Amino acid sequence: MFILVMLMMILPLQQQAGVIEIKNAWMRPGAKDMNTALYFEVKNNSSQADTLYDAKSGLAERVEVHETYMQGDMMGMRPAKAVEIKANSTFKFQPGGHHVMFINLKQNLRKGSSAEVTLYFRHAGEIKIKPEVRK
Amino acid sequence: MKKFHNLSFFLFILALLLAGCKEKLPVKDDLSGISYGLVTQDSSFFTFPRDLKGHVVVVGLIFTHCPDICPLITNNMERIQEEAKKEGLPGVSFVSISFDPLRDKPSVLKEYAEVREIDTKNWIFLTGRQGEIDSLKKQLHYVAIAGDTTYSSSGEPSYFFVHTDRITLMDKEGRVRQEYKGSSLNPADVIKDIKALEN
Repeated sequence: MFILVMLMMILPLQQQAGVIEIKNAWMRPGAKDMNTALYFEVKNNSSQADTLYDAKSGLAERVEVHETYMQGDMMGMRPAKAVEIKANSTFKFQPGGHHVMFINLKQNLRKGSSAEVTLYFRHAGEIKIKPEVRK
Repeated sequence: MKKFHNLSFFLFILALLLAGCKEKLPVKDDLSGISYGLVTQDSSFFTFPRDLKGHVVVVGLIFTHCPDICPLITNNMERIQEEAKKEGLPGVSFVSISFDPLRDKPSVLKEYAEVREIDTKNWIFLTGRQGEIDSLKKQLHYVAIAGDTTYSSSGEPSYFFVHTDRITLMDKEGRVRQEYKGSSLNPADVIKDIKALEN
């Protein structure tokens, strides 16, 4: 009985582990007290859409999901409360588009270093990543 | 018949003149007679663009707290700088001018360049008084509008700009000769134009 209960608890987690894959995660360098951005690809292997709704890291005072938008020949940024990753698709967080913004970095982020970031998905739950800092 | 020949000759000369006028990179704006008193990342006084006379100049306007577009602009300038080195174009200079002088003091610009490992041999970062920066922005038809301000735990203001996405190419006389979309240009196009202005 105990084994059955344990299996019931573990199996859903095992399924979720491969449902969302994070690939090519990287961040730009940034100086202490400045801001920078995190980019990555989210591959949703499930037949169900999922939503990235938050990101956290001890690296900066605030971590927010943002999107860059174009208005004529001008560019701006606005918070993106939630980003839907459609079923069986890949969504790219990339320069000039959606990104995770780190506001008021607590330390210098230099090329070659890395940092731990947790991404929060509505269905897949928490996914920890370690993006590399590069240009 | 003679009249016809005269007309043909006239049209030929006109065509030549028009071809000359359609010169590769016409002057879009002339800053050669204007001087902006700015400050470098090393806190030295700098007169823009006069102190760069004799250099073809790649200019980007940025604010250092920008996490996405300005780093793209800076990164594209680095790509142009690398290509210029490979092509052996020593006469080209790079300038990043902050339109957020309230926060972008010289030391902040220095840190911005250092943490990104930017080669500052032929690249300067400039800031200055707000009035001077505003005047330069206006001259370059550049727009930057600050959004709402929030404050960090230490009381530091945090705000972002909606701003023009552009890299500007100036000739050796301080005249604007070409403009590119700063975040998504092709460095090879800029190199081609630099070569045209170097000659």
